[in-house]
Amino acid sequence: MASRKKVLLKVIILGDSGVGKTSLMNQYVAKKFSNQYKATIGADFLTKEVMVDDRLVTMQIWDTAGQERFQSLGVAFYRGADGCVLVFDVTMPNTFRSLDSWRDEFLIQASPRDPENFPFVVIGNKIDLENRAVSARRAQGWCHSKGDIPYFETSAKEAINVEQAFQAVAKNAMAQESDVELCSDFPDPIKLKDDQAKPRENCAC
Amino acid sequence: MASQNEVLFAKDSVYIHINVQDTKDKDAHIAGRVYLMKKPEGNFIEWKAEECLSHDIQNDEWDVIGSVGFRNDRDSECVSMNAKMDARRKYNISFDVLDLKSFKRNAPNHSWAYIIFILKDGTTFPALHFHNGGSKALLKELETFIHIRRSPNDQRLFIVHDHDPEMLSKSFNELSIFSDSSSAYVQKFVSEPHKGFPKKFMKDPYTATMGGFSKVTNFLRDNFMAPENLTRPQSEMAEFLHEDIPGMEISNLDEPGFEMVTKTKLPPRPVVKRSEHLELAKWNSFFDSDGTISQVEEVKEIIFRGGVDPAIRSEVWKFLLGFYDWDSTTKKRQEQRKRKVDDYFRMKLQWKTISSEQERRFTLLKERRGLIDKDVMRTDRTHKFFSGDKNPNLQVLYDILMTYCMYNFDLGYVQGMSDILAPILVVMENEVDAFWCFAGAMERVCHNFEMDQNGMKVQLSQIHKLMQVYDPELCAYLESHDSGNFYFCFRWILIMFKREFHFHEIQRLWEVIWTDLPCQNFHLIISLAILDSEKSTLMENKFGFTEILKHINDISLSIPLDDTLCKAEGIFLQLKEFKKLPKAVKEVLGLLPVPVSQSMENSVFIGSASNTDVKSQDSASRVDTPQLMGGISSSSSISVNGSRSSHSLGGKQNSIIDEGSKILT
Ligand SMILES: Nc1nc2c(ncn2[C@@H]2O[C@H](COP(=O)(O)OP(=O)(O)O)[C@@H](O)[C@H]2O)c(=O)[nH]1
Ligand SMILES: [Mg+2]
Repeated sequence: MASRKKVLLKVIILGDSGVGKTSLMNQYVAKKFSNQYKATIGADFLTKEVMVDDRLVTMQIWDTAGQERFQSLGVAFYRGADGCVLVFDVTMPNTFRSLDSWRDEFLIQASPRDPENFPFVVIGNKIDLENRAVSARRAQGWCHSKGDIPYFETSAKEAINVEQAFQAVAKNAMAQESDVELCSDFPDPIKLKDDQAKPRENCAC
Repeated sequence: MASQNEVLFAKDSVYIHINVQDTKDKDAHIAGRVYLMKKPEGNFIEWKAEECLSHDIQNDEWDVIGSVGFRNDRDSECVSMNAKMDARRKYNISFDVLDLKSFKRNAPNHSWAYIIFILKDGTTFPALHFHNGGSKALLKELETFIHIRRSPNDQRLFIVHDHDPEMLSKSFNELSIFSDSSSAYVQKFVSEPHKGFPKKFMKDPYTATMGGFSKVTNFLRDNFMAPENLTRPQSEMAEFLHEDIPGMEISNLDEPGFEMVTKTKLPPRPVVKRSEHLELAKWNSFFDSDGTISQVEEVKEIIFRGGVDPAIRSEVWKFLLGFYDWDSTTKKRQEQRKRKVDDYFRMKLQWKTISSEQERRFTLLKERRGLIDKDVMRTDRTHKFFSGDKNPNLQVLYDILMTYCMYNFDLGYVQGMSDILAPILVVMENEVDAFWCFAGAMERVCHNFEMDQNGMKVQLSQIHKLMQVYDPELCAYLESHDSGNFYFCFRWILIMFKREFHFHEIQRLWEVIWTDLPCQNFHLIISLAILDSEKSTLMENKFGFTEILKHINDISLSIPLDDTLCKAEGIFLQLKEFKKLPKAVKEVLGLLPVPVSQSMENSVFIGSASNTDVKSQDSASRVDTPQLMGGISSSSSISVNGSRSSHSLGGKQNSIIDEGSKILT
C-alpha cells in the first residue's frame, strides 16, 4: 500500500500560443483530447497523482496564456516551480525559435536555486501532422546545448509520448528535491511554495 | 484491481445540471451515481454519469479516472467515436476524501438538496443534485473519515476540520488555540495587532477557547467588527492607512476619534430588484416621427434594469455599441449604415489582396493571421452557431478579426478578442454589423489588450481600492495571502466575464454594462459582488494564492447573474452614500464633481444627480433618471485610467472630465 505522505511538484508549461500546452496537460491528466478547448486566458492548473520511484507525488501542472504580452502579469505563477515543460509545435519553426526566450524568461522570473540544473523538459508536439518543419535532430541539438535537457516528441491528439514526457519532468524534479531534503507535509498535499518568499509561523520545512 | 475497491455508500439519481442552451447535449440534468469508495490508495468520493457506469466497471477504468484533476470544461464536448459516453465522462468526479477542504450544501425548501465539493487546492466541482435525497446519508458516511463543522457565517458552508485524529480527542482547553492550524486566521490578527485586532482578545483567550471555534468566530465578529472597537489612536491609524490604503488621503487625521474605514461604516445595502427586459412595443414607442429616440436615458435605464428582449437585440445593440448615434434619425442611420458597409469592405480588401509572396516579407501580418487562425478554431465551438467541422461561421469570425487588424493595426490581434466577438456575431448574424459592433465593444476594452498591459494593471488595482473600502476584512485577507494583486480576477476583466457566464447570460450582462449605468466602471463593482459571495469560502477555508485562483476559475458558469447584478448595484448605492468615500474611489466610479474652474455652468450641478454634459444631446431627458446616475451623465464613460475616451459619443465631454480629474488629484 502506498504511503500517505504526499509530495507536491509544481510544474509550469510554457511555449507560444497554439503549440498545444492546454491539450498536452489535458491529455496527461484526463487522458482525453478535444479540439474544442478554448484558448487559455490567465492561468489555471490541474493536478494529478503519480508514482515516482515508489513515492506518491501530486503534480500541479500550470498552464498559462502563450501570447507574449500576457507574460508580464503571469510570472507570479513561476514562483516556486519544481519543473518546467517547454513546448513547441514541430510544424512551426518560429515556435521552436521562441524556446530560448521562454527558458530565459522562466529562469529570470522563477529564479530557482540552481538554474544550471533546473529540471526542464522540451516537448516537440503535433508529430501526428504531416507538415513537420523542425527536425528531431535540430531540437535535440538545442536541448544538448542547454545542458542536456531531455527531449520528447509527442502528439497530444493521439496520446503519443505524453505520459513519458511528464513522467520525466516529475522524476527529474524529484531528484532535485531530494538533493535539497524532502519536505513531507502530511497531511496537506498543498505545499505552500510561497513559504520561501515569506516565512510562515507553521511551516513544517 | 477492481476487487480491491469496496463501495461504502452509493446513491443513484444524483444529477449534474448543465446548460442546454450552450451545448449540443439535450439533457439539462445528467443522471449519475455517487459513491463513497474504499480503494487501496484511500477513500474516494466519486460520481459517474449513468452512461459511463456499466462501461467503466467492465473495463476497470476506475484508476484511470482516479486523479484529483478536474477540468472546468463542462460546456465543452469531447469528439470521439463513442460520442455520448465520452461526452458524459468529462463530468465524472473523483477525489480522495483527504483532499476535501469544504463543501456547500443547500437544501431549498421545496426542492432537492445539492452539494458542491471544494478541494484543498481550490478545485471546485459542479453541484451534485440529490433528486431522490441521500445527501445527508452521504455526509454521514463521510463523517466517519473527516470532521466537519458548519461555518458560523454561512449556513450552507461546511469546513473539513483537519486532520490529526489525536488532536480532535483533546479538549479545547488543552489545545493551544494559537497553534492549532484552524485558527491561523485568528493567529494572523493576533500576531499583527496593528492590523486592527482588539487587544482584548489576547487578554481573554479563555472566553474564546471555551466555546470552540464557531464561538471564536462569533467573538471576532461581535467584537472586532463592532463599531465601538473601531476607534483607534491616531498615530496607529495613520500608519494603518499608509500601509493599507496607498493613495488614500489621511486628511481626516485632525478629526478627533477618527474611525477606521470598515464595512460597518458603510450605509446598509438597499434591496435592489431587476425588472422586465426592453420589449419591441416599448422600444418602438420611443421613436418619434423622423425616427429619433426621444428619451435616451429612459431607454438605457430600462436596459440596465432588465436587459433587452433577444428578438430586438441586434437593433438595440447597434445603439449601445455606437454603430448608430443615439440622436440619429432614420435617414441618418441609413446613411451611416451605407458608409459603414463601404468602409468595412474597403478594409477587408486590404488584407485579402496581400499575396502569400508579399506576406513572406510581412511577418507581423503573418503572425497575426496565425494567431487568429488558431483562436477561431477554439472559440465557443460548443455553441450551435460555431459547432461542427467546416462551419461557415468560423470563416466570418476569421474575416472580421483580420479586418479588425487593419482597422486597428497598432493593437492588432490579441487573444481574448475572439471571445468578445463571438456573442456579438451570434446576435448580429451579419458580418458588417458584427464588425462595427465589435469595434464599438473593443473601444471600451481595448486598453485591456495593449502591449504593456497597463489597462489590466490599473483595473486590478482599482478593484483593490474598492475592496479596501467596501470590505477591509476580505481585502486584508487577500493581501496577506499573496492575492492583493487580484490577479485571480484577470480573466473576468480581460474579456468582461465572458468565460464566467453562459452564452445567453453574457449577452444580458454586456448590454447592462454598455448602458454605463449606474456609474462608470460598474464591472469592477460586479467583481466585488462576486467576491463578496465567495468571501466565506475563501476565508474560512484559509485559501492561499493557488487555491483562491483555482476556486475563482472553477466557479465560472455557476455564478447567478441576476443576484450578482442586484448585489452589485446595492454595493454601488452603499458606496455612493458613504460619507467618507475616498477620493480615489470616487474617481474610479466617476463620482467626482467637475471642478468649478471647468465651467460655471456645470458647477451648479455639483452634488446633484448628474451631470457634466450640459451640451450633450440627451441633456433634456436627464430629469428622467434621478438616483441612478453616479456623478456624470450616463452617456459619457471614462475608461479605466481616465485617459482615453471609451465611447465615441462622449469624446468631447470625456476630455473635460479627464482634465478635471487631473486637477483634482
Ligand atoms: N494535430 C494536432 N493538433 C493539436 C495537438 N495538440 C494541440 N493541437 C491543436 O492545436 C491547437 C492549439 O492547442 P492548445 O492546446 O489550445 O494550445 P495552447 O495555446 O498551447 O494551449 C488546438 O486547435 C488543438 O486542437 C496535436 O498533438 N496534434
Ligand atoms: Mg492554452
